[in-house]
Amino acid sequence: MTIFWLVIVSILVLPILLFLAVAFSPKLLDQGPEWFTFNSFKAAADPYFLRSIWHSFVMGVVSSIFATAIALVVAWIVLRTNSAARKAWNLAIFALLLAPSYLIALGWERIFERAGVLNIFGIDLPFVRDLLFGPVGIAMILTFKGIPFAYLVISNAMRGLGEEFEQAVRVHGGSRIAAFKMMSTLLLPALWSGIAIVFAESISDFGVASQLSSPGRYSVATFTLYRSVMSIPVSFPLCAAISIILLGLIVLALFAQSRALRGRSFRVLSGRTRPITRQKLSPLGSVASNASIYVLLILTLGVPVFGAISASMIQGLGTVISNYQINFDNYIRVIKSPLLRSPLLFSAEAALMTATVAVILAAISSRMLVSTKNGPGKKFLDFFLLAAVGLPGIVFAIGYIFAYNLPLAQRYGFHLYGTVALLVLAYIATALPSTTRSLVGNMNQFQESLSEACRVHGSNGIKTWLTVVLPLISRPLLAAWCLTYCGTLLELPVSQILFPPGHAPLAVGIDHALGNYDFGGGTAMEVFAIISALIVVAVAFALYERLAPVGWKQLGRAHQ
Amino acid sequence: MNKGHLVKIEKARKNYGSLAALDGLSLTIEPGQFMVLLGPSGSGKSTLIRSLAGIEKIDSGSIFLDKQEVNRGPINVAPEKRNLAMVFQDYALWPHLTAFENVEYALQRRKLSKDISRKRVETALERVGLSTKGKNYPHELSGGEQQRVALARAIVADPALLLFDEPLSNLDADLRERLRIEISTLTREIGATALYITHDQSEAFALADKIGVINHGKLEQVDLPEEIYERPTNRFVANFTGIAGTFTGKVRRVSKTSCIVSLGEDQLKVRHTVGLEVGQSVDVLIRPAATSFKKESENKISSVITDVAYRGRGYEHAIDTKYGSLTGVFDNVSHPRGGRISVSIDPDRCIAFPTESK
Repeated sequence: MTIFWLVIVSILVLPILLFLAVAFSPKLLDQGPEWFTFNSFKAAADPYFLRSIWHSFVMGVVSSIFATAIALVVAWIVLRTNSAARKAWNLAIFALLLAPSYLIALGWERIFERAGVLNIFGIDLPFVRDLLFGPVGIAMILTFKGIPFAYLVISNAMRGLGEEFEQAVRVHGGSRIAAFKMMSTLLLPALWSGIAIVFAESISDFGVASQLSSPGRYSVATFTLYRSVMSIPVSFPLCAAISIILLGLIVLALFAQSRALRGRSFRVLSGRTRPITRQKLSPLGSVASNASIYVLLILTLGVPVFGAISASMIQGLGTVISNYQINFDNYIRVIKSPLLRSPLLFSAEAALMTATVAVILAAISSRMLVSTKNGPGKKFLDFFLLAAVGLPGIVFAIGYIFAYNLPLAQRYGFHLYGTVALLVLAYIATALPSTTRSLVGNMNQFQESLSEACRVHGSNGIKTWLTVVLPLISRPLLAAWCLTYCGTLLELPVSQILFPPGHAPLAVGIDHALGNYDFGGGTAMEVFAIISALIVVAVAFALYERLAPVGWKQLGRAHQ
Repeated sequence: MNKGHLVKIEKARKNYGSLAALDGLSLTIEPGQFMVLLGPSGSGKSTLIRSLAGIEKIDSGSIFLDKQEVNRGPINVAPEKRNLAMVFQDYALWPHLTAFENVEYALQRRKLSKDISRKRVETALERVGLSTKGKNYPHELSGGEQQRVALARAIVADPALLLFDEPLSNLDADLRERLRIEISTLTREIGATALYITHDQSEAFALADKIGVINHGKLEQVDLPEEIYERPTNRFVANFTGIAGTFTGKVRRVSKTSCIVSLGEDQLKVRHTVGLEVGQSVDVLIRPAATSFKKESENKISSVITDVAYRGRGYEHAIDTKYGSLTGVFDNVSHPRGGRISVSIDPDRCIAFPTESK
């Protein structure tokens, strides 16, 4: 356990705390003359920074409200009606969850940009382009990216909400509207959670900012932060102050959520909750619901996928040449050119390591979090993992640069700055909070008596883990591994800031290719990356189905 | 036959925050004895059984299994080294293993050859009537079958101590009775010491060699079932082991083991187990078996029938008297609701305790 705590403190706690502390006390970490000051906050109050923070706030509010409203309608169609489109949605939701925001933005960009895919086909829509490269475009992509998060929260709540609550309103004299009001009230916790989660995700997002934000047009806080840390000399106290303000906004959203729900109980799930019967839609309702789901899928996934695939097959996209050719040359170039190929291979290796270590640490962490023993270690871990979930990736990455570049770190032999090791450690640290949270639910379902039964029937702690705990959570562990692998493979903010010289990760490789106007090569790398991620996930699950003992798989089937 | 553990618990204390789950409790269970701990929810019985298993650690006091001190201060022998087995309230069958594998798991600590191991698992499953269900996964078994697998898992390794944590509480009445008999016979067959916890007094009386009644982390009385029923040492024990009702009155005369209690117009002869004085206010706790509609009895009170329930072997009546109501008054024939009738009270089966100040 000592090793576990050492790892948690050094990869998660220290870098963040040291970085945030420097906003108040530059001298403490050799970043200025003052022991305690608010000067860095005064500097952050410059109109340029304040405007970008305000923009982030507005984007967060708009995208969270739109994403939650859309998710509510989708959840109702998928869970409460017999709409045929619900199966397509259930398949697409995971793709949408896995797709990084910068890839969605890139897809849209490739289609509508000047000399983009539409231009090549003779279509020019300058007003759409203007909208896309500004607040409307940013809010739209953030909304798309937020929908699956809000959907998961709302659909979970809706599943537990039996029909009897609405029926009770009707049999006691309430109208349809009154019944709908009752249902909405009962779903309030989920709606608030949806808004808070999407708000936090949008404020922290760097992917959309990196593609659609720019100082001249509409700059958001994460983009400003990135520019500040890339400028020379870097003012870490200023970066820390902006990060703290950003975190403050996230905390504010969570606080508003808890205030709105305080003192109200919404426990609706019980053993008596009966499964709902799906509402049979009229032909018109059926068409309308199917159309709305498919339009949503086209906008969120279809357009970016079309943008990426079409762009990857067009030779000379983004240039002013006139004889564009459609072929697979860009893919062949990615395979042959080390410059295009090596980021994908490097990220695949890093993702493999990150997913494996993060899942091991997350399994231990999640078990600790659901333990019935309420020790200080559990509270400490819970607090930091929760705080880290809301921490923007870009802040995390800057914290890493700062902490591991300190003279103190060098003095104690941590020569990690600018190394692959630091990048992988940062990947693990950023993946750990969400991977842990994804396992907590499964660990919570695990009856404590199952491991107690092992102990009283002759197994020690390790054997209990190996023979009972791991088999029972093997499938969720595999899913968590796949999610972490895909997330790391396509990760942007940490990669962008911490990549060591000569080892560009995939997101950086794509960015470099696009920066060099090699749109075809960059998008071909995107497509290769997504295909390779799908292959890894498919192979992992195929191996599980083939190699796992029958009882483990039986368990999965029993839960279906 | 296996020789069971001698279990000794001395002054065990365990707090959860400010709540004392075990409050200086001491208990000895002789080797091979079947001890039942009877108590309400929150009385500390689960904490005690989990501490014996080694899943919980007591704050102070000590626990001995035979001569080995397994828990005192920093000493806490791991559960797997205590040579015991346990049947859990929720069965705790591992869902990824078949019934056979669940039972086999508990045998691994004996390090037997594969053949012997297989034979013993088969025998254990046969003993609980599940020889054909070995390949089934827990979710393919009924509740009763799952509990039988848990029982087979507990007995297969011939442990020296068997712990039962309310194992029948999730089953219906009929199944509960059948499994109770299986638990009783199998445990005695293997000769292990057994500790069984329950809040069901009928289960306790049916199973136990000895019963301990536990409340607020303390043992109120440890004795033979008959003694607990006939001579409860305090009001809580009497109450928790089944009463038809309580009357309040004043002591008129006292002898060594009985007294006359005035209830108003009527007087009742009742037993007492604690010292009483003439004029003292007492509560008379009446066992269901003390009541009848016999005509020839002297200890009689007039009553009105308020409810009748058919129980197969006869009828149980609820009645109202001037001094309170009684339930479970048995007769072979049914008496109509609202009818007036005299109820007889057997003096040996009702006990007077000083009235508690409220």
